[in-house]
Amino acid sequence: MSTTRATPAAPPGGPAGRPAGRGEPDRHRWRNRLHRFDMRYTPYLLVAPFFLLFLVFGLFPIIFNGVVALRHWRLDDPTLTGWAGAANFEKLLTDDDFWNALYNTFGIFLLSTVPQLTLALVIASVLNRRLRAQTWFRVGVLLPYVTPITASTLVFAVVFARDTGVANWVLSVLHLAGDEPIDWRSAKWSSWTVLATMVNWKWIGYNALLYLAAMQSIPRDIYEAAAVDGAGVWRQLWRITVPMIRPVVIFTVVLSTIGGLQLFTEPMLLEQNAQAATGGANGEWQTIAQLIYKVGWKDLNLGYAAAMSWGLFLIIVVVSALNALITNRLGGGKR
Amino acid sequence: MAGSGARWVRLVAASAAGVLLVAGCSGNSGGDSESGGGVTLKIAYWGDFGLDELKSRYEAANPNVKISLNTGEYNAQHEDLQKKLIAGDGAPDIAAIDEGFVIQFRGQADKFVNLLDSGAGQYESKYLPWKWKQSLTPDGKAQIGLGTDVGGLAMCYRTDLFQAAGLPTERDKVSALWSTWDQFIATGETYTRAMGKKFIDSGTNIFNPVLGQQAVGFYDPSEALLMEGGPKVAFEVAAKAIQADLSANLPAFQPEWNAAFVKGDFAVLACPAWMQGHIKNTAPDTAGKWDVAAVPGGGGNWGGSFLTIPKQGRHVDEAYKLLEWLIQPEQQIEIFKKVGNLPSQPALYQDPAIRDFTNPFFNNAPVGQIFSKTAEGLTPQYLGKKNGPTRVAVENVLNRMQNGDLKGKPLGQAWTEATKEAQKASTS
Repeated sequence: MSTTRATPAAPPGGPAGRPAGRGEPDRHRWRNRLHRFDMRYTPYLLVAPFFLLFLVFGLFPIIFNGVVALRHWRLDDPTLTGWAGAANFEKLLTDDDFWNALYNTFGIFLLSTVPQLTLALVIASVLNRRLRAQTWFRVGVLLPYVTPITASTLVFAVVFARDTGVANWVLSVLHLAGDEPIDWRSAKWSSWTVLATMVNWKWIGYNALLYLAAMQSIPRDIYEAAAVDGAGVWRQLWRITVPMIRPVVIFTVVLSTIGGLQLFTEPMLLEQNAQAATGGANGEWQTIAQLIYKVGWKDLNLGYAAAMSWGLFLIIVVVSALNALITNRLGGGKR
Repeated sequence: MAGSGARWVRLVAASAAGVLLVAGCSGNSGGDSESGGGVTLKIAYWGDFGLDELKSRYEAANPNVKISLNTGEYNAQHEDLQKKLIAGDGAPDIAAIDEGFVIQFRGQADKFVNLLDSGAGQYESKYLPWKWKQSLTPDGKAQIGLGTDVGGLAMCYRTDLFQAAGLPTERDKVSALWSTWDQFIATGETYTRAMGKKFIDSGTNIFNPVLGQQAVGFYDPSEALLMEGGPKVAFEVAAKAIQADLSANLPAFQPEWNAAFVKGDFAVLACPAWMQGHIKNTAPDTAGKWDVAAVPGGGGNWGGSFLTIPKQGRHVDEAYKLLEWLIQPEQQIEIFKKVGNLPSQPALYQDPAIRDFTNPFFNNAPVGQIFSKTAEGLTPQYLGKKNGPTRVAVENVLNRMQNGDLKGKPLGQAWTEATKEAQKASTS
C-alpha cells in the first residue's frame, strides 16, 4: 500500500504532484505543532484577558495611588503639586477623624460580622436537614442578597426614621421606647446598630448558602454515629460541622473582613443628605471608606485621600490574616 | 524633567478622574443627540430656578437650540462642577453657582469664559454693585458670572398655627412682636407653651440668617477665620433658641424637613426670597396659610446665585446668547413671579410687575416690596473660599446640640467645639 502510494504516477517535481505527495506528513507536522502550541500556550492566552484587565484596572490604579499618596495634590489649588514624601502619612497618624473612622469601622464590623456568620451557620445547618419546601427556603434565604444594596438601604433608612419610622413604632408597641423616639442617627450605638442590621440582613443568606454547599459534602453517617453516641444538635454543629467545613468558614471570615472594612454604601445612604459624607453630625458612623471619599471629593485633597486608602489597605491585609489565623485555630486546625 | 513628570501625572489623573466621574455621575453625561445641526445647551443648577417655562419659550424662538435642564442637590452640583473643571471635560454649558461657592470658583477664572470679552460689561451698571463684584476677579479683569437672584431676608410664618396659639396673625403685628432675636425667642416660648409644638424647624435656620445680618462672616478678605465676630453672635442666638426647646430638630433640605412642611411641625421659617419657591413646591396644600413678616434684627442676605459658562463647553457662544436672554428684565420678572427669586438688578424693584406683586400662596403678602427693601439696604459680607465647609461644620455642632452628644451641655462647651470644627474645616 505504502509503495503504491509513494510511487508517483506523474513525473516528480510536477506542479500537480507535489502537494499530493508531501501533503500528509506536512499536515502531521502542522498538527503536531498546533498540539504543542495548544498544550504550552493556550492556557496563557485564555487567562490573559483577566490579567490584562487586572493590569489596567487593578494593578495600575494601586501603583498610581501609591504615587499620588506621596504627592501634594489638591483639586481646588492646582498650583500645589510636587512630592510630599511621607507628609500625608504623618498627617494620617495624628488625624482624629481617621482614628474615629477606624473605631467606627471596627465597631460596625464586629457588630455585623460576628452575628452574621453565627446566624448563617445556624440557618445553614437547619437548611441542611430534611425540610418541607426545601428549595423554597434555600432560595428565599438568598433573596436579600439579590436586592440592590441601595434599594434595601433606602428602605432601612425609612424604617429607622426618627418621627415616622417603623422601628420606633415597634419599640413603642413593645413598651420598650422611652419618652422620646430614638433618634437613630444621633449616637454611636444606635447608628452602628442600624448599619449592622442592614449588613446582616443582606449577607446572612449568602453566607448560609456557602456553608450549606460545604455541609452537603459531609457524610450523613458521621451525624448518625454522633447521634448514637448521644451528641445533641448543638454539639454536632460545633464538633462536627464547623471543623469539617473549616476552609469555607475561613473563606467567609476573610471575605466579610474585607467587605466590612470597606463599608461604604450603607453609611453614605444612612445620612439624610447623602452628599455630606460626614457620617452624622459628629462622625458617629463615618467609616474609613466614607472618610476617604470625603477627603478626596469634598475637601478635594486627593494626595491625602490616597494615603488614607493605602492605610486602609494595610489594615485590611493585617486584619484578614489575623482573622484567618484565629478562625483556623478555633476550628481545630493545626497549620 | 520634573515639569513633564508632573504633567504626566496630572494627565493620567485627569483621565482617571474622568473615568470615575462617568461611573459616579450617571444621568447628565452623554445622550445629547445633535441631529440636524442643532445645539443642545445644558444648564445645571439646584432647587428651582424657574426655568421650565422659559426653556420652551427660548426653544420656540430659536429652533436650532435645545435646552437640557439638570437640577440636583445644592452641594452636589457645586462639587460636580469642580470635578469636571479639573477633569477638563463634562461641565454643563451653563453652570449655576451660589454666592457661598463663588469665591472658590472665581479663583479659577481661567476655567470660565470671561464674560467681559463677550460684552457683558454693558450690564455692570444694572446690577447691585456688590453682586457684580462677587463674581468679578479681584483685579477686575475677568467676570465669570452674571447674577441671577439675591436672598434678602424675611420671616415666613403659618397664620393658622399662630391663630391657634393665640398669637396675632396680621403681618405688621407679627413683625412688631419681634424686633430683636430675644423677642423672637420669647414669642416662640409663648407658642410652644400654648401649642405643645415646636416653633422653628432647626437651629441652623436661625444661625444662617443671623450670620447673614452681621458685618463680617466666617472669613475676612485675607481669608483668615474669624469666629469671635459674626459667627459667635449667630451661634449664641441659635443656641438660645435650641435651649429654649423651640426647635423641631429637622436638618434643612432633607426628606424629614420637607415632610414637616406638609404636617405643620413648625410655625416659622427664616425666608430668603428663594425660599418661597421651595415652600410652594414642597407643600402646595398649605397655600394661603403662610404669610411673610419682617425678620428680627434688620436686613441681611442669605443666598443668591450666578450663571457662569465653563470654557470647556462646545457651544460657548450659544450659551452666552441664552445667558444674556435669561438675565433680561422680562425673564427675571417672570422667574420672580413663578418661584420668588428676587432679581439682582435694582431697577427692576421699581417695576410695577415686582413692586406691586403680591404672592397669593403667602396670603397675598406684598413680597415684591418686602424683599426689594431688604435687598437694597444691604451691605453683604465677604464669603471666603472655605465658607461652604465651614458653615457645614458649625451647623453640625448645632445639630449635635439639638439631638446629639452636646444636648443639654453648657453653651461654652458647644462653642469651643464649634471653633474647633470650624478651624478643622478651614484647613481641610
